Amino acid sequence: MNKNFKETSKTGAIAWLLQRISAVVLFVILMTHFLLYHFISKGTPSWNEVIAKMQSPWFNLMQFLFLVTALYHGLNGVWMVVEDYFHCRCWRIAIFSLIWLVGLCLLFIGTFTIIKVANLNPGV
Amino acid sequence: MYKRTKFYDLDYYKFTGSWAWIFHRLSGLALIFYLTLHIWVINSLTRGPEKFNKVMTFLGSPLFKFLEVGLWGVILYHAFNGVRVVLIDFSKGSLYHKRLFFILVAVAFILWVAGSYVILSHVL
Repeated sequence: MNKNFKETSKTGAIAWLLQRISAVVLFVILMTHFLLYHFISKGTPSWNEVIAKMQSPWFNLMQFLFLVTALYHGLNGVWMVVEDYFHCRCWRIAIFSLIWLVGLCLLFIGTFTIIKVANLNPGV
Repeated sequence: MYKRTKFYDLDYYKFTGSWAWIFHRLSGLALIFYLTLHIWVINSLTRGPEKFNKVMTFLGSPLFKFLEVGLWGVILYHAFNGVRVVLIDFSKGSLYHKRLFFILVAVAFILWVAGSYVILSHVL
């Protein structure tokens, strides 16, 4: 059992399972997101409206969860595609590093946006 | 022994599942590209009201409303085919996956038409 479990890190079974779990989470969050911000709200929101909404910690927690699951699901998806077409070890290491770099940059930009906006005054 | 499938093995392209898989990948790659842009656009919130409102006015133009309709279609396809993938992996979806594909695509198509109507009714 222990030996088999160790092997899963090489076969990608955990990544496969996480891809399914994040898929289910994203299905719910993304449908809600689209319903609220593309269908119910009309026109483009102003800066003040968005800043006012992003003062709620629950809203921001949800945005952060959305960011992390979307980035994981998306970039792991890209890696799954890369694994099918790139067989040379050097290419795989280079692309895997690039995916991590892009992922960390986007995670940083997204988290920075949430934290900075949460600390802004909506009245300004 | 198994033979690695090459892109020119046309037999492979006869099946519903193959096409579902190909479009799932292509839509996934399109969505990670969109996610990157989306995170960057939302980051303009931190650059002040003038900058953000300028970006939102630009994105509120009819051209972007048509792109939004396309985005909604790509998301729906990826999400509903994703439901099929999860049912195949965790349930007995493989026994009825072709029928399931056409049912889910039909549901996605209805949602796409309804959602597109709402999006375009905001501008037209």
